[in-house]
Amino acid sequence: MGKQLHGNICEEHLFSSIFKKYSKDLHDFLYYKFGELLNPKDKVQEAFIKLWENCTKISPDKAKSFLFTTANNLMLNEAAHQKVVLKYQQNKPKLSTNESPEFLMQETEYNDKLQKALANLTEAQRVAFLMNRVEGKRFKEIAVLLDISTKAVEKRIYGALEKLRKDIKEL
Amino acid sequence: MNREELILKWLDNNLTEQELEAFKNLEDYDELVTLNSGLQAFKAGDYNTEQELEKVMQVVKTRKKTPANLLKPLLRIAAVLAICFGVYYYTTTLNTTVATEFAQKTTIELPDASHVSLNAKSVLVYNKSDWKDHREVELEGEAFFKVAKGSSFKVNTSAGYVTVYGTQFNVKQRDHYFEVICYEGLVGVTYNSHETKLKPGDSFLIIDGKTIAKEKENRSEPSWLNNASSFTSVPYKMVVEEFERQYNVDITLLGIDSSQLFTGSFTHDNMDVALKSITLPLHVTYSKTDHSITLKRE
Repeated sequence: MGKQLHGNICEEHLFSSIFKKYSKDLHDFLYYKFGELLNPKDKVQEAFIKLWENCTKISPDKAKSFLFTTANNLMLNEAAHQKVVLKYQQNKPKLSTNESPEFLMQETEYNDKLQKALANLTEAQRVAFLMNRVEGKRFKEIAVLLDISTKAVEKRIYGALEKLRKDIKEL
Repeated sequence: MNREELILKWLDNNLTEQELEAFKNLEDYDELVTLNSGLQAFKAGDYNTEQELEKVMQVVKTRKKTPANLLKPLLRIAAVLAICFGVYYYTTTLNTTVATEFAQKTTIELPDASHVSLNAKSVLVYNKSDWKDHREVELEGEAFFKVAKGSSFKVNTSAGYVTVYGTQFNVKQRDHYFEVICYEGLVGVTYNSHETKLKPGDSFLIIDGKTIAKEKENRSEPSWLNNASSFTSVPYKMVVEEFERQYNVDITLLGIDSSQLFTGSFTHDNMDVALKSITLPLHVTYSKTDHSITLKRE
């Protein structure tokens, strides 16, 4: 962050730079934790608007944890009454169709299993694991985002991997 | 390097070339790669930061910071101060009230060592914190004052007020009855905005709005301090009322002229003796039950 630490979030340029820095991570975090149905994009918007409303009270170095906590709470308020819906976007666009139909079928089958297995992970495991595997984040970056130690991130990700492999074999 | 370490390093994208070779030789390599590519299908939906930022900024610009943010903490401080001031003001201006019941007497020491003796069924109100500046008491009933020397000492009653400097005097204010007797020093009595100065032994008496002349008082303190009430040419009903206050009884008069004058006294310690002292001189008989006494002309 460097110089930004000394500013006030009420200044638009600082607010925008905080938005650029965290909004995607926040969105991904919410997406992997709660799934798509609860509108992670809207929650990101709401969290940032709340940050703006409280801009005099929150110092820039507290902004990240404020955003993650607020967005998480917004999600929990909505998720409280329903079982978390986990529906992952399943089809990546297929450009080439020269694969054999058998292979395509196997792949669909495999993805089905994977989806079920992912739903079986704990929220903490799934967030850390998918941020690492899909978003390509290093352990250290995830640790900073989630405010936990690198060791804890390592544990969650490795735990998630083992559990996934076991579940896929059993399914 | 064992298997778990290798997998962890792979997960963290931290493998060296050598380690990568070792990793590729792991028996679970194929499975891991399949899993990894399968996972890519679960990528979070596209997120266009610029576009989202624009949306947020639109909302944010319509909600400019309100000045209430600045005012709020100030209001809080003001509220706390107001409460503190209120409590301070209330406690420091709180009056001290001393009241006596029927047949009860008490002595009060005022903040400057002045003494007040309070007769039965009387109320005295004064303010401790304000005492230095205003030696002032409110009186309802009868009291004897021994005032320490100092600035003016004022006794307010509903009938009139009494101002003194350092002295001893008795104030009696009852229904239609206002009496001040000076025992020492100099006392000024203001009644109907007219001031009368009393020297030791002088008394000031108003009954039913009329000034009554009284002979010199030669006692050094009022008789009630020694548990007796004495009267000189006082209407009989005032005597009866005083009797009622001292013994907490109800007295009914039958066929007696309540305005005839009475001179005499009665004690506060023995009701039978006291009843005799107020009935015998007037040839009156009495009959009594628990709390009521009937006086009847013979």
